[in-house]
Amino acid sequence: MNTETILGEVNKIFRDELDDDSVRIFYETVAKDVDGWDSLSQIHLIVSIEKYFKIRFTASEIQRFKNVGEMCESILTKVNA
Amino acid sequence: MHSGLAEGQVFISEFKVTENVYNSFIAAFNDKNILHTDDSYAQSKGFKSKVMQGNILGGFLSYFIGEILPVENVIIQSQTIKYKNPFYLEEVLKFEAQVTHIFESINSLEFKYIFNDQSNKKIAMGTILIGII
Repeated sequence: MNTETILGEVNKIFRDELDDDSVRIFYETVAKDVDGWDSLSQIHLIVSIEKYFKIRFTASEIQRFKNVGEMCESILTKVNA
Repeated sequence: MHSGLAEGQVFISEFKVTENVYNSFIAAFNDKNILHTDDSYAQSKGFKSKVMQGNILGGFLSYFIGEILPVENVIIQSQTIKYKNPFYLEEVLKFEAQVTHIFESINSLEFKYIFNDQSNKKIAMGTILIGII
């Protein structure tokens, strides 16, 4: 598994949680780039991501992510740990 | 997170579907479907008596989150429910909820819950995600 693979899986989660099959996320994507990615949907995104990858983020980790790519790198680190 | 709750923690309670609960639900939401109000009709469809509105259980869930949990500042973020069997007026439902996941990253907790009747027949089950605000 690599960051690109993780990004693809995360994209599926975004589509499912935002109920929008047209959503495309990239490494540089941030919340303002995605329609419907608001504070409440972020909660559901994080819940789904943590469950899907069987990982746990900390609050400080979530706050430090500058974009989706950084989150995917963190996911990769955790799943390989 | 300082909710004081832990994964695996279980909460057990009982909820009675009283006349007051039933009548208040109808007064608030006006769901007077014949299945919910006419014993003869419900019996003709194979039920014991008039079937209670399934979303009465939503009220019990609200009470559980808002009043039973030892955490004051909570908000429901999502909720699912699957109905397994009907329930009836004056029934006392056994309720059990367990903390299944604590999401420290977003200050949220997930519960799975189940309502059973007094003979342990499953009435409904589901999950609730709450946020500590």
